[in-house]
Amino acid sequence: MIVHVDMDAFYASVEVRDNPTLKGKPVAVGGSPQGRGVICAANYEARKFGIHSAMPSAHAIRLCKNLVFLPVNMQKYIDVSSKIRDIFYRYTPEVEPLSLDEAFLDVDGSKKLFGSAIEIGHAIKNDIQNELNLTASVGIAQNKYVAKVASDINKPNGFLYIEPGKESQFLDPLPINRLWGIGKASEKRFHEFSLNSIKDIRQSNVQDLETEFGKQGRKVWYLANGIDTRSVESERKAKSISHETTFSQDISDIHALTAILINLTESVASRLRHKQIKCRTVILKLRLADFSRVTRSRTLLEATDITSEIWNTAKSLLQQFYQSENHSLRLIGVGAGGLKKTSEQNQKDLFAEETSSMTNIDKVTDKINAKYGDKIIHRARTTPKNN
Amino acid sequence: MKLTTLRETLLNPLTMVIGVVERRQTLPILANILIQADGKKLTVTATDLEVELKASIDMVVDEPGEVTLPARKLVDICRTLPAEAQLTLKINGEKALLTSGRSRFTLSTLPVKDFPVVDKFKSPTELNLKQSDLKQLIDSTQFAMAQQDVRYYLNGLMLEIQDKQLVSVATDGHRLSYCHLDTTIASDSVQQIIIPRKGVQELSKLLSTDDEMVNVKIGSNHIAIISPALSFISKLIDGKFPDYDRVLPKKTEIKLLANKDTLSAALTRTSILSNEKYRGIRFSLSTNKLSIQAHNPEKEEAEEEIEIQYTGDDIEIGFNVNYLLEALAAIEDENVQISMVDSSSSCLLQQPKNGNCKYVIMPMRL
Repeated sequence: MIVHVDMDAFYASVEVRDNPTLKGKPVAVGGSPQGRGVICAANYEARKFGIHSAMPSAHAIRLCKNLVFLPVNMQKYIDVSSKIRDIFYRYTPEVEPLSLDEAFLDVDGSKKLFGSAIEIGHAIKNDIQNELNLTASVGIAQNKYVAKVASDINKPNGFLYIEPGKESQFLDPLPINRLWGIGKASEKRFHEFSLNSIKDIRQSNVQDLETEFGKQGRKVWYLANGIDTRSVESERKAKSISHETTFSQDISDIHALTAILINLTESVASRLRHKQIKCRTVILKLRLADFSRVTRSRTLLEATDITSEIWNTAKSLLQQFYQSENHSLRLIGVGAGGLKKTSEQNQKDLFAEETSSMTNIDKVTDKINAKYGDKIIHRARTTPKNN
Repeated sequence: MKLTTLRETLLNPLTMVIGVVERRQTLPILANILIQADGKKLTVTATDLEVELKASIDMVVDEPGEVTLPARKLVDICRTLPAEAQLTLKINGEKALLTSGRSRFTLSTLPVKDFPVVDKFKSPTELNLKQSDLKQLIDSTQFAMAQQDVRYYLNGLMLEIQDKQLVSVATDGHRLSYCHLDTTIASDSVQQIIIPRKGVQELSKLLSTDDEMVNVKIGSNHIAIISPALSFISKLIDGKFPDYDRVLPKKTEIKLLANKDTLSAALTRTSILSNEKYRGIRFSLSTNKLSIQAHNPEKEEAEEEIEIQYTGDDIEIGFNVNYLLEALAAIEDENVQISMVDSSSSCLLQQPKNGNCKYVIMPMRL
């Protein structure tokens, strides 16, 4: 059985929890309404006014004058999210997080230890309530799709179990936009064929759907029949490895930023080496004082895990960005993308620069840090001056 | 313009230049081919803004003139007409009419003045070569060119004009091919140019193996290769080609001699069971014996043993089998000499004697 856990109005709920005076008030989290920010999350009180995520913040304020508007505190949500995940892992290692606030769990292997899927679902919901003082909605079904729809239907604080075999009974009356892959545009096209509910699609001929709507037609027919064969993927292959840091105060001094960046680069590179992967792309992530995000990336000639190579690229990306004008930053991060296993890189290069000495430095650094503690040896530049 | 000719007469120059017309164009006019008839000669021109190809044939036409026509459609029509069919091409305002027997095709045209042609350029360096020599030089090196590499200067063929020598080098960073041609051209400096990959491939198709001379003109941004029947002009890649001389192995102590065809056949068979992506095979050398092994992720294995001339220590070294096969295919002698330093340094393949070509391959870690 698959359990889908979805936090209710996650960002907003976290804010309300941490500031009880907000309880019962409409609360939204997002970018500044003075600027061009948009809503990231709104609690259920705010949703009554028609406020929803992705709506421009300025528009939301117009809809609800008493809206309590809060900035995004991403680090806080990430911290809470990791606590939620810890709760999931108590019950099963088969966890597939979809985002910070929702995840699929395959609990088939946990029955002997923790009881049925329903019991596990309740236990997780209670743990989240008791330990984190937050509410989650839980959907349980035989597959991912039905479980997700089930968790969504009784929000907030919902709990719905769809008995195997009763999928159609549950899905039939729902509108077709509940099917994955049907958005506003395709919804219209389906309506033109008098396909208005999931039942209509379920009862259609799959061939006819495919002729009319292509691959999508076949996909939605399967979903409408409650068929979804995808499994819970607990370990997704990392697409990139990155480290970032948010400053307590905005920083504009490029020398200070450079020192922070080198520190982050060391972490990223050492993680690459630890995982025995190399990266082809170096990504510089910046968030400016006005919350706008900037990313710059550069692809290297050859995949690397050498600190100084990643560092040189990250540094030049930062310098390029600062060339035109000075910026005040609230976050800086460096990422490594285009990952591939070191062992896959067997073909030697004719024009390879002499990198072996750099590789050796990194190896020794990693060893020393592993033995004496994280960053016991690091680049001199990252040492504070008054030490 | 009006002309009447045999299908084959028109198809010949068309097929010579059509390769340069891209299937998807940035400008509509690039889908067209320029046809010019001055009364004595018919010239067709195709371009992708990087490479311009021109082919000319002697032809007396009814009315001289010029026009641009959709290249692929024109070629496809001519190709599918019956052999030896007589065809007539006539321009009528903005349309062109092509008739042959009971077939009639009305094609759209685009203004001739919009067709981009490379202006005449200054060429301080000029040389005359035998067509066959130039073709040989290109064909024995071009297979090692990189394809869409970020090191854009590797996506082409490097020609180096030295004193009394013309050198051609191609490399994708993992292997390199080198060939030189003795010329009579004296030069007190060394000049390097890089011809883009597509141009090289088109040029190789155009050049024939006969001894007719071609005139090579090299300017700062272009190269032109001109014979009475055809003209090839390509932009050059603006970049610095890596120092090939540095990677040609010099002090090679391990030397083996093998029959080229025997080795090639053994490699081809072994390669069937090598990893489809990485193509690795292992050489194990011992006295007068070479054993070649390959295995794949399905744990299937291949092993071949061939007799060679070798007297050194036992050694094992891994290679991408495709690189070896392509280099062997370019070697003309019946034997090949393979020289190595150790199992982690580059390896050199060449003819045992009097070879103008050298093939360098970096090993794989196995």
